[in-house]
Amino acid sequence: MEIIEENQSGINIFKLNGRLDSNTSQGFEKKIFQAIGDGSKSMIIDFKDLEYISSAGLRVILKATKALKREEGKMMLCDMQDYVKEVFEIAGFDSFLPIVGTMDDAIQSF
Amino acid sequence: MAKNKVSFKLKSKLSELDILCQHLERFGQSIGLSPKCIFEANLALDELFTNIISYGFDDKKEHTIEITITHRNNKLIFNLEDDGIPFNPTQVDTPDLECTIEECKIGGLGIHLAKNLMDEVCYQRCKKKNILTLKKNIKEPEPAKKRMKG
Repeated sequence: MEIIEENQSGINIFKLNGRLDSNTSQGFEKKIFQAIGDGSKSMIIDFKDLEYISSAGLRVILKATKALKREEGKMMLCDMQDYVKEVFEIAGFDSFLPIVGTMDDAIQSF
Repeated sequence: MAKNKVSFKLKSKLSELDILCQHLERFGQSIGLSPKCIFEANLALDELFTNIISYGFDDKKEHTIEITITHRNNKLIFNLEDDGIPFNPTQVDTPDLECTIEECKIGGLGIHLAKNLMDEVCYQRCKKKNILTLKKNIKEPEPAKKRMKG
């Protein structure tokens, strides 16, 4: 999986490309917690090019969202493919994670 | 005609998830499954396989997990066999999905996903092996396009 990090007006954006499973989730966890450790409080995860997610990927997102909340920060998730969104729904994560349609929606929420 | 059955063996390491994905895509495409159906089958098998190799073995040895997929009468039947410690995923409690983010725990989530994406999940312990049989109902696959001559 490829992770592209960008910074736009103080928001850390992570663009995920490929498959987020138990094989790749550790690399993602490391990157996202590095950013939280560096003091980032505003984050967007862009799912546009993510083909696949398993519970290992959900775990990292949950853990990071909790950690950011403790720092009074915020994380938005955007542009999910239908299959990927369905995984969040079956897990019940869509009830407490902010999932929006587009990157613009995500940026405007800050 | 496309074969209606495929069998393969995976080693007990996470990197084998890529091999699982390749087998599923190849088989799924050969019988005309939708990308959504391939995704769902992949996720269910991924969660159960990851669970087996994370908790199923109490030694450091490499083990083999055998997977068979059969396509019959608009059903996909998946068979997973491992020689790990007895473990029946059908008896794992469903996590509390109504919880708040603070209460939310990740344990049992993978098995919950797998059960949701399949229509039936059965477990047997036989000859020191865990045998999981999963069934998924599918719609009639689209017939593969025939190559036109000339």
